[in-house]
Amino acid sequence: MLIRADHATTLNRRTFLRSGGVGLGGLALASLLQRESSGSPDYAGVPGFPHFSGTAKRVIFLCMAGGPSHLETFDYKPELARMNGKAMPESFTAGQPIAQLQGQELKCQGPMTEFRPYGKSGQMISDFLPWHGKIADDICIVRSMVTEQINHDPAHTFMNTGTALSGRPSMGAWVNYGLGCETSDLPGFVVLTSVGGRNPQPIASRQWSAGFLPSRFQGVEFNSSGEPVHYVRNPAGVAKAQQRELVDTLIQLNAHRNQIVRNPEIETRIAAYEMAFRMQTSVPELMDVSDEPQSILDMYGATPGDGSYASNCLLARRLAERGVRFIHLYHRGWDHHGDLVRYMNTCCGLTDKPTWALITDLKQRGMLDDTLVVWGGEFGRTPMFQGKGTESGRDHHIKGFSMWLAGGGVRGGLAYGNTDELGYNSVENVVHVRDLHATMLHTLGIDHQRFSVPFQGLDMRLTGVEESRVVKEILV
Amino acid sequence: MPKTFATTWLVVYGFSLASALSNAGEKEIDFRSQVRPILSNKCVFCHGPDAEERQAELRLDTADGLQADLGGYQAVQPGEPERSAIIERITSIDPDVQMPPPDSGKSLSASEIEVIKRWISEGAKWSDHWAYVRPSRTTPPSPGRGDWSLNWIDDFVLARLETEGLQPAPEADRVTLIRRLSFDLTGLPPKPEEVDEFVADKDPQAYEKLVDRLIASERYGERMAVYWLDLVRFADTVGYHGDQDHNISPYRDYVIDAFNDNMPLDQFTREQLAGDLLPGSTTVQKIASGYNRLLQTSHEGGVQPKEYLAIYAADRVRNLSEVWLGATMGCCQCHDHKFDPLTTRDFYSMAAFFADLDEAQHFSKGGNSLPTNRPPEEKLLTERERQQLTELEAQVVGLEDELVTHSESDPVTRELLEKKLTQLREQATSVRESARVTMISVAIEPRTMRVLPRGNWLDDSGEVVLPAVPAHFGPLDLGERRATRLDLANWLTDPERGVGQLTGRVFANRFWYLFFGLGISKVLDDFGGQGEPPVHPELLDNLALEFVESGWDVKHMVKLLVMSRTYRQQSLMSDELLNRDPYNRLVARQSRYRLPAEMVRDSALSISGLLVLDYGGASAKPYQPAGYYRHLNFPTRTYEMHSDRRQWRRGVYVHWQRQFLHPMLKAFDAPQREECTAERPRSNTPLAALVLLNDPTFVESARAFAERIVQEGGESTDARLQYAFRLAVSRAPDQRETELLGELLMSNQRQYEADPTAAAQLTSVGLKPVAEGVNVVELAAWTSVARAILNMSETITRN
Repeated sequence: MLIRADHATTLNRRTFLRSGGVGLGGLALASLLQRESSGSPDYAGVPGFPHFSGTAKRVIFLCMAGGPSHLETFDYKPELARMNGKAMPESFTAGQPIAQLQGQELKCQGPMTEFRPYGKSGQMISDFLPWHGKIADDICIVRSMVTEQINHDPAHTFMNTGTALSGRPSMGAWVNYGLGCETSDLPGFVVLTSVGGRNPQPIASRQWSAGFLPSRFQGVEFNSSGEPVHYVRNPAGVAKAQQRELVDTLIQLNAHRNQIVRNPEIETRIAAYEMAFRMQTSVPELMDVSDEPQSILDMYGATPGDGSYASNCLLARRLAERGVRFIHLYHRGWDHHGDLVRYMNTCCGLTDKPTWALITDLKQRGMLDDTLVVWGGEFGRTPMFQGKGTESGRDHHIKGFSMWLAGGGVRGGLAYGNTDELGYNSVENVVHVRDLHATMLHTLGIDHQRFSVPFQGLDMRLTGVEESRVVKEILV
Repeated sequence: MPKTFATTWLVVYGFSLASALSNAGEKEIDFRSQVRPILSNKCVFCHGPDAEERQAELRLDTADGLQADLGGYQAVQPGEPERSAIIERITSIDPDVQMPPPDSGKSLSASEIEVIKRWISEGAKWSDHWAYVRPSRTTPPSPGRGDWSLNWIDDFVLARLETEGLQPAPEADRVTLIRRLSFDLTGLPPKPEEVDEFVADKDPQAYEKLVDRLIASERYGERMAVYWLDLVRFADTVGYHGDQDHNISPYRDYVIDAFNDNMPLDQFTREQLAGDLLPGSTTVQKIASGYNRLLQTSHEGGVQPKEYLAIYAADRVRNLSEVWLGATMGCCQCHDHKFDPLTTRDFYSMAAFFADLDEAQHFSKGGNSLPTNRPPEEKLLTERERQQLTELEAQVVGLEDELVTHSESDPVTRELLEKKLTQLREQATSVRESARVTMISVAIEPRTMRVLPRGNWLDDSGEVVLPAVPAHFGPLDLGERRATRLDLANWLTDPERGVGQLTGRVFANRFWYLFFGLGISKVLDDFGGQGEPPVHPELLDNLALEFVESGWDVKHMVKLLVMSRTYRQQSLMSDELLNRDPYNRLVARQSRYRLPAEMVRDSALSISGLLVLDYGGASAKPYQPAGYYRHLNFPTRTYEMHSDRRQWRRGVYVHWQRQFLHPMLKAFDAPQREECTAERPRSNTPLAALVLLNDPTFVESARAFAERIVQEGGESTDARLQYAFRLAVSRAPDQRETELLGELLMSNQRQYEADPTAAAQLTSVGLKPVAEGVNVVELAAWTSVARAILNMSETITRN
């Protein structure tokens, strides 16, 4: 099925006009064909979506930006320990793209921590992540990920849009477009980035761009400090009732004018102002966690307003509860070219327990069943030593790394796929980023092959034109 | 409703517009507008130019291919649909025979099949793709209603409307006309006195005088530049990774100057692509050659220069082909084009034109300073700045001479002269010191350019290519000499030996878009098979030729368009038009749409009186939410807004941070400028509403606007509301509007009287000091009214 990018707009305009009872025969058609995107809040996704009933209603994507080492988290490699300090066999590295280690001697770096089995499943998880051990039976670890981009910025773009080319929609925008949002008080795609940790890699707002989709589907970043959403607070000296009065007057002025000019854009703008005003209340309410019991704050390790990953995990749950479709968290600082142990302690210290808390909290509220949670970076790290800083580290690596999925119809307690004995190449049940996208869409009830939008003469899909598959083996 | 439904169906499902609008029953099927779009959209992906992926060795994108012998039969047998294999295939329900195959996700509608059948019955006439054949001049038709047309554009438009049984809209009233012209030509609303003058002007030439005045204004260049800067993806930062600032603002000023000086587009093209290669290359031409440096770059630790040089080469080909050719060559980075006669070899041959650019230095020299270093760069003055300096220096010399002749004069005169001289010298020094660094193009030994198989930069097995234009358009005739960027620029603009006439058509279509809201061919950056055949092919061709033959005279084209009767129509929609032509493709009325981001900003600043019309210079930094750059690193940075007059400059001068574009610009659809943007979306979202309601730029504008109202708008509420409305929307409010705003005023007056602290807070948003002696409570109440007016749909709409 081919879906036009502007279909979303047109559909919801039609809905608006019908329900709004404007009743100007031809106007409905004009609206149907207008190409501008709409602010009308009752958008319910592409007609005919979902294609089938999915197992997940929403996604929480926990992006560990910078590229956490699979070799110190979820991919246990005793052989690499044995090879520690020895030359990396050239059979692995010849002709492969390499980032910062270009032209340097390549030697093996053994795992810099211990691993142990957890839970009934006995999943092997490193000592950096003891809290993950407690959710070992809830998560499905994919140890055979591959991506195609070896530098941070393009690798994030690839992870988010399925290509390194600029101008394509992020997966959150795709999902928001495909399924719409379950709330009319908040955007359907929300991004939260956390503070704390080490000197982080930059992250660009294009990572949550709507690309060629209407801009209403773009991710909206919620800020933990300052204004939670840009310009969501009234100007100084304007009380809430005054703002309401202003918006009411404005709506009446616009509606009055529209009796003469009959411009469907004005209808849309009226709806946009209504939603803007509601957001001025709903967003601060969402961000204010004072209604959470202390036990919950303690569970996450969240201090309200601190902007930490812990606070963002709690906000992610609150967003999920309110019907936001795609919630994307970024925690930066995983780029460990040197001093890996020290920085793993920092990063895991900030993220391990809150991640456990999020899964546990969703579970105790019965929400994990229909919430897909994904954890991972834009790539992994080399089995080879890199010596930036004072202690050992690892370089960027794209041929094999680990991510995990939980909830939303994913089989917990499963370890899927394998890298080779040194953790270099994914060799068994390889999962490409596109496969991850296809699988994610599948849990949401979307057939990725039937989810396309015409752009520049092509039928664009999140999963592109190359081969991709739903990894059914990891689904319940 | 059946007719309505049919129209919807056809348009929504991609059936060509020309056929939807014409009476499909009688006229002969037109291959170009009716058949080719179907073949392109549904068949050519597998049966097209991409030799590698072509199925069954069948091509449906060429005349030969359609009638090739497939072993005793052919896809298309002219005149005989029943003997044409294509008909059998597209009407079959057997999944093994059926075309397009069920798993392709494509299918043909009954009406599409009917069009193909009829086309074959009528002889299967073929014509080359419209965008690849040279435009031809058509004598303008003579429409029945002879008195309507003001120029030949109108003849084409009206004749078509008459064929369709439609009437053009009446001419808009003068207030609407001056608003439309002011936004379209200068990007600013008209001042009330300008409106009055125009409305009262009895001179038959009044309209033309207005057009001439606006086109001559320096604001015109600023407005036109915004569009060009989108096309060439101009920004103040490198785009990738650390997104550091880079030195390029003189290029922006060059573009503004070029539009204001009405530089012919062929010269404009040459200077940008090859300013450094022109004989006796001037400073201005070097600034212009900054075009080649506008792309996104990275010096992230760990980038492989070889990979990034490949990325840059591809970026340049994409941009060049979209800007000048209206072609999406980007596809050919990995494979031959699926729809258009462009190959992978063409792609890398085009890239080879840019292989001489000195671009690798920043990999090692870039660094994480602000701005970063992207040599080659040069510190220089722009054309306008140098003129200013020359004038100042002449004045200094003049004064010095005068001082000599006045050596005997009284001390008072001498003192005055000396003071003036010091001032002038200081001014000259300040201009000299304002010299800015800018990236330029410098040619070095060209690097070897290979075809990269599947776009893979690690694969060195592809053939080495030399600079060449796409083979479909024929070779450049240069003998043994290696072709240069200058040859490319000449080819793009040479109407005889190059594709100048095609380039002319690409830009004529974009001019139409700028003044009518959408293109004659809707897709402004893809004139290929997947673009849209023009609704008015003859008109577009004539405009293209007019542009080329005028000597690429942009102001001539702009004036031609806005002088037409077609341009001057009302934008109101009748019910009939809404049904017949909801997209306004036939232009039986003007279009109405929300202003572009920069105009939304400039308009509020202008209405409030805050707008600063300084010309050119380094980019300006208005208010921006705190912490917005917190995700940037290498280096980390804090946005330092400008605390002086630069705060209120026009949008075209606002700092363009690619990774974190100013949230106001972003909310109103300004692009990040990573790629060519030929058409911006026009969204209408809650985030944009929040900007207009709460962004300090708009709150400050509202309170400055309120101050104007209170100080200059008279004493009574009615008089003040009249004054305010005329500033914002060029008309007086009606009774209902007066009532609504009057109530808002009174209510706010009461509330601020009860809470003067709140009044003081609201009226101190922004840097602008409150004028002395203004009653703050009154000012705050009027600020609420001003906010309502600045937020009105009408205020941000061009109609």
